[in-house]
Amino acid sequence: MLCHGGLRIRMHSTIKKEMIIRKGAEANLYYGRWFDKKVIFKYRIPKIYRIEELDKRIRNTRTLNEARALIKVKNYGLNVPQVYDIDTTNSIIVMKFIKGEKLKNKLNNLEDTNKTEIFKNIGSDIATLHMNGHIHGDITTSNIIITKNQKIFFIDFGLHDYSDSIEDKSVDIHLLKRVLISTHGKDYNTCYNAFLKGYKREYTKYNAEECQQIINNIEVIETRGRYVKKEERL
Amino acid sequence: MKFNKKFCLGIECTAHTFGVGILDFEGNVYSLINDIFIPKEGGLHPVLIKEQHLTNFISTITKALSQANCSIRDIDLIAFSDSPGLAPVLRVGALIARMLSQKLKIPIVGVNHCIAHIEIGRLMCKIEDPLTLYVSGGNTIVSAFESSKYQIFGETLDLPIGNMLDAFARDAGLTHPGGPKIEKLAQESKKYFPLPYVVKGMDLSFSGLYTASKRLLESDQYGKIYNLTDVAYSVQETCFAMLTEVTERALAHTEKEEVLLTGGVAANKRLQSMIQYISHEHNARFEVVPLKYAGDNGAMIGWTGILRYKAEGGKNISETLIKPKERMDQIAVPWRT
Repeated sequence: MLCHGGLRIRMHSTIKKEMIIRKGAEANLYYGRWFDKKVIFKYRIPKIYRIEELDKRIRNTRTLNEARALIKVKNYGLNVPQVYDIDTTNSIIVMKFIKGEKLKNKLNNLEDTNKTEIFKNIGSDIATLHMNGHIHGDITTSNIIITKNQKIFFIDFGLHDYSDSIEDKSVDIHLLKRVLISTHGKDYNTCYNAFLKGYKREYTKYNAEECQQIINNIEVIETRGRYVKKEERL
Repeated sequence: MKFNKKFCLGIECTAHTFGVGILDFEGNVYSLINDIFIPKEGGLHPVLIKEQHLTNFISTITKALSQANCSIRDIDLIAFSDSPGLAPVLRVGALIARMLSQKLKIPIVGVNHCIAHIEIGRLMCKIEDPLTLYVSGGNTIVSAFESSKYQIFGETLDLPIGNMLDAFARDAGLTHPGGPKIEKLAQESKKYFPLPYVVKGMDLSFSGLYTASKRLLESDQYGKIYNLTDVAYSVQETCFAMLTEVTERALAHTEKEEVLLTGGVAANKRLQSMIQYISHEHNARFEVVPLKYAGDNGAMIGWTGILRYKAEGGKNISETLIKPKERMDQIAVPWRT
């Protein structure tokens, strides 16, 4: 690991505005070179809209959180970008560049059988995460990348958390469900059912009873939301 | 003042505001009268609100008619808020609307309150397809139009933002409404205390933040090393940063080109500047709904009623039941394709 000072100089010389490839909600992604390797710099930019103390706290914890999670999750065989280096003072993670397309944009051009296949695999990957006590925290179709040879990559672990509780795992799935309904309305049924199938298949190997509890709990969470009729609450 | 125009009378009656708005079918507003319940102590008690609305509705409607310079006979359509809200209060609004519709033999339409907030914003700000942050005493919603409905991308999992601010203000000994008072106090401090910052995907939770800020008020140190201005500052900075973050997430996700800020809390200058900042970051046009149309009002109900009437026609009385718990993402929006 390089010292932070040295790394910072290197980073500033590589990050140039014209190389920005994506402006996300909380971070900008830049192409760059790191020891002659093609890499991505994920830079959590300071948000001037919030006060400095709060901004520092959020950027710092999320950067560390994400880097740690990416490294750990890789051990379970999930496809995530390899982390090369981190710079906590500037909230930068240097990681491998994944060539592919966001699932959000790709979904419309896929055949139904293909969709089912992809979401089954996503389901079993998320189950692997959950079985090992990891919560992704922000599973959306924008945070999943599909490569040319149909490999599924998970990115953006900024809201990642460690938990073994059924509640946290159900919330994680619930968030994906919400995104599917709101963004991919007409594909929702196909995708969500395939996801659950893949999830169950994988999780049941580990603990069938808990798997069922997690899936049942998703409905409970939904009825806990705002504007749910009393008689429909679980 | 008829001039072959058609007029709609909108009745807003979901919570503390009994609002009447009169507008023509092109969306020109002729009158806007609000009668607002302000509690002497405590929060908003549904039964007390209901009683005030029942006592004052005739005078409020009369005022609105005289402001628009027209008679009740000139009205061609009655729109009222049928969801969501406090059930006893909604029932009063529905009752008045049904009575007027039957007496005058004119069509009636029920309108969802949350959708009305977005529609009046679109009309007043001349905005086409915005991502909306709707923040008020009863709602905290990030919504955008997608697959033929107003989808909810993010919302509060427990307390609405305005509710939280009001409750906090009450604990601090301030009178209702607390939001503007907190805004003023917060301007006097720069001392920040870390408070729970809970964002789950695009959803928010304010209950932990509320409890933590209440503890700050109850602590021995309160009044010694810090005072109310510091706590107000910390609360406001934390909860607005959360709102701004989820709005930005939704903006990056939906890739909309316009952002609309509405609801009672939209009056807060600090929140406005924060949402404006992220809108510019993503090259989106930013609009705040003019204050008198941002809070609860009758014009927004009237306008959405007109849109629904043009698309679907009037409703039978049997179809005007109130739906206190209806979610906006369940409702068909036939006037937008």
